[in-house]
Amino acid sequence: MLNKKFWYLLVVLTLFAFLLVACNSDEGGDDPDDEDEQEQQDDNNEDENNEEEEEEEGPVSGGELVGAMDTAPDGIFNPIFYSEAYEANILDFTHESLAGQNDNLEFIPQLAEDWEANDDQTELTMYLREGVTWHDGEEFNAEDVIYTYTAIASPGYTEAGGIRTTFVQPLVGYEEFSSGEADTFEGVEMVDEYTVKFHFAEPNVNPVYYASYPIIPEHVFGDIPIEEQPSHPATLDAGEVIGTGPFKFTEMVEREEYVLTRHDDYWQGTPYLESIKWDIVDQSVITSLLESGDIDFVADPNGVPAADYEMVDGYENVEMIEQTDFGYQLMGFKMNYRTAEDAEAGTINPDNWVENPDVADQKVRQAIAYAINRQGMVEGLLRGRGSVINAPIAQQFWAYTDEVPQYEYSTEEAEALLDEAGYVDVNDDGFRENPDGEEWVLDLEYPTGNKIREDSAPVIKDDLEKVGIKVELRNPREMSAYSNDIIFNDSEEALDGLDLYLIGWSLGSGDPDPTGLWNIEAQYNISRWNNPESDELINKALQTPDAFDQEFRTQTYQEWQELFATDLPAVILYAQNKIYAYNERLNGVDPLPMGFINDPHLWWVEDAQ
Amino acid sequence: MYKYIIRRLLIFIPMLFALSVIVFGLAKAAPGDPFSTMLDPTIDPEVYEDRRDELGLNDSIPVQYARWIGNAVQGDFGESIVYNSRPVMDLISARFWNTVYLGLVALFFTLIVAIPIGVYSARNPYSILDYFGTGFGFVGLAIPNFFFGLLAIYFLAIKLGWFPPQGTVSGSDVSGMKEFFDRIHHMILPGITLGLASTATYMRYMRSEVIDVLGSDYIRTAKAKGMTDRVVLYKHTLRNALIPIITLMGFEFGVLVGGAVITERIFNYPGLGTLFLDAVINRDYPIVMALTLIFGVFILVGNLLADIFYSVVDPRIRYD
Repeated sequence: MLNKKFWYLLVVLTLFAFLLVACNSDEGGDDPDDEDEQEQQDDNNEDENNEEEEEEEGPVSGGELVGAMDTAPDGIFNPIFYSEAYEANILDFTHESLAGQNDNLEFIPQLAEDWEANDDQTELTMYLREGVTWHDGEEFNAEDVIYTYTAIASPGYTEAGGIRTTFVQPLVGYEEFSSGEADTFEGVEMVDEYTVKFHFAEPNVNPVYYASYPIIPEHVFGDIPIEEQPSHPATLDAGEVIGTGPFKFTEMVEREEYVLTRHDDYWQGTPYLESIKWDIVDQSVITSLLESGDIDFVADPNGVPAADYEMVDGYENVEMIEQTDFGYQLMGFKMNYRTAEDAEAGTINPDNWVENPDVADQKVRQAIAYAINRQGMVEGLLRGRGSVINAPIAQQFWAYTDEVPQYEYSTEEAEALLDEAGYVDVNDDGFRENPDGEEWVLDLEYPTGNKIREDSAPVIKDDLEKVGIKVELRNPREMSAYSNDIIFNDSEEALDGLDLYLIGWSLGSGDPDPTGLWNIEAQYNISRWNNPESDELINKALQTPDAFDQEFRTQTYQEWQELFATDLPAVILYAQNKIYAYNERLNGVDPLPMGFINDPHLWWVEDAQ
Repeated sequence: MYKYIIRRLLIFIPMLFALSVIVFGLAKAAPGDPFSTMLDPTIDPEVYEDRRDELGLNDSIPVQYARWIGNAVQGDFGESIVYNSRPVMDLISARFWNTVYLGLVALFFTLIVAIPIGVYSARNPYSILDYFGTGFGFVGLAIPNFFFGLLAIYFLAIKLGWFPPQGTVSGSDVSGMKEFFDRIHHMILPGITLGLASTATYMRYMRSEVIDVLGSDYIRTAKAKGMTDRVVLYKHTLRNALIPIITLMGFEFGVLVGGAVITERIFNYPGLGTLFLDAVINRDYPIVMALTLIFGVFILVGNLLADIFYSVVDPRIRYD
């Protein structure tokens, strides 16, 4: 009996072995074919290349392009519910907004041909383009715009997981509609089939920004209750996602590849490329696949790591584009703590804040800025692929200015300032004591997840110790644990007297307004910087009607940046560069400051069949 | 025997219950929640606070646990928080078979390499192949598997083009038998990478165990009765030498399901290991809990199977 069982087992195992051997030999048989095919293809390519060289090349229709992402999208292909950059990589091809942005970050017509605002900018009339078709052939019109904005404002949107209410909050009647008190949303009004009016509750300095959210089709989603939208096939499944963009999302192998096929009736003309495929490829393999030509481009959100720049640059078939990222890394001073009760209750009340004496002195903060060799960090850690910036506004914005205190690396300046502030070494232990002669140690904490940022922490410690500041480097923690404490639970006890923190911000390209990060009562004002002058300036830059004049806003933001750099709630360490790489067979690439994907209907490949 | 199996299966229930309490407690004790990494200055933190209320993350831990276990016993493992409310079971089932197949392929490579070489080395100690096997064993154990995986990708997949470098299948348009072979083709490199370290271990075990058994009294008796070498080897030696291997496999069964994180990462092979790691990092509690239970079941079942197989290979072992 037992014997029999044993033999069964053996037979099954042997069968399995045969099966695999069979597969292997089959594969063996397949392989040479594949190679032949490839060689043939290569031959074809060479031929075509030769031909093209002879007759001077122009855009050719057809061909497939393969892009690489290092992480798979979560899978929500609906602009009003998506949440991350990998999904955006697909939605950027499939969906469009009423207005786009150009190289100078000015808003330019996209699905809207033109727009006008009334004098006090409380009304914005968008004139929609006619003859735009959705991927399923339906006509795009004002109903879709009304639907998209109403959906974001509707009750149940946030419960369903939506987080984009920023775009509807300033519109008239948002509160009433989202709470269910009103049956209709007054913020967007359909004037006629191709005209939509946005009504703002208050005069708005940048109304087009709010009107530039990607539009989803009313004829697809109109009858679906908002809470079912995130799990609806039209949100999740390839072939069901409908937009107006130059490419349709047609096929996917979840977490492995996502295929976009051209939208023949695209309003700016049929795209040249037949299809674009996103392969999900581990970061460590991307560069070799670029070299071998298996993938054609790698772009947002991570691009090519700075450390690999030289190597990839050496590949003959690969072109590179390097541009400044929208954002910066900073080392903040924890100037004030919230009380434990406030943090618990989630209230932000500056009157209750507890000052952190360790970094309370402005001169100390300035000295620390002088003591950190930021240029050295850019050279060393970023391999030169980045820049030192001094103000917390993205460099690409009209509002950015470099005419603020620079804090160029200088141990002398740092030491002089520290001496002046009374922080001197009184007990000859090599480290400075505070003005009362007590031990003065700065606790620095940082999150894991960004290698360069992790590496910068010990460099900062080293730099500060050179001028006699004792720094206690805490063990790094993963981002969710770290951010939970420093942002939401920032009482002195919970943070155990934290003084310095590292964090990075990616900024939006829509408007330079720094309210969300640096307003006194902003949750993300992690320093708990309490400078009424700063709030005054930030608000002034948004104060209508003066702020309708961009010159005025620029002026005001420059004053604010100067204030920031003087009072220094944080040292802005550096802005990293984005490094995009693509195969030279791809033509027509023209990245925008905020991303690689721009006018992909104009991309074309030389070896298209 | 059946009574024994049923008794063992019944013990699973309190064990899994205890496991779920411990994991839930630990998961909740870790600071942060699914929303603490979603930091976007253009989004009002209130929005996230509303979501927390909505999902009950602000309730006390026992209340949250009671709610979870209440649903779980009814087969409802809830919805993922990070993957915009997709049902946890959908996310898991999409990856479950990938992981199981990869584990089986790894195990298969391990066995077909380790057992023959192990046996051969034992019968011909200090021969060239024995030294080779020993050398391979040390290298296999010493080489980190991400490194081996990267080498394999670079040389075998990219340079030589023998295998696909990433993923589980060539495209959504492949189907039928072609898809079957395509998937196996995709599994070979990650399978070997995953099985490498255990191959080395099994080989060493097999070698020493066979040497051990060959020196025992009953083998000498068998030989004295005039049995052929073949019979002695297959009927008497191998069966006894397999016992420690079965124990190892029982443990491995659970480990193969949950422990392939690195291999899955570098081959972009979507499986449970990476899902679990991401879920832990993002504090996606519903996924963490469901996967923990699945891993728990696998480890328990693996051990149970090992115990049952003992009695198959060694009739002296009986369960009542």
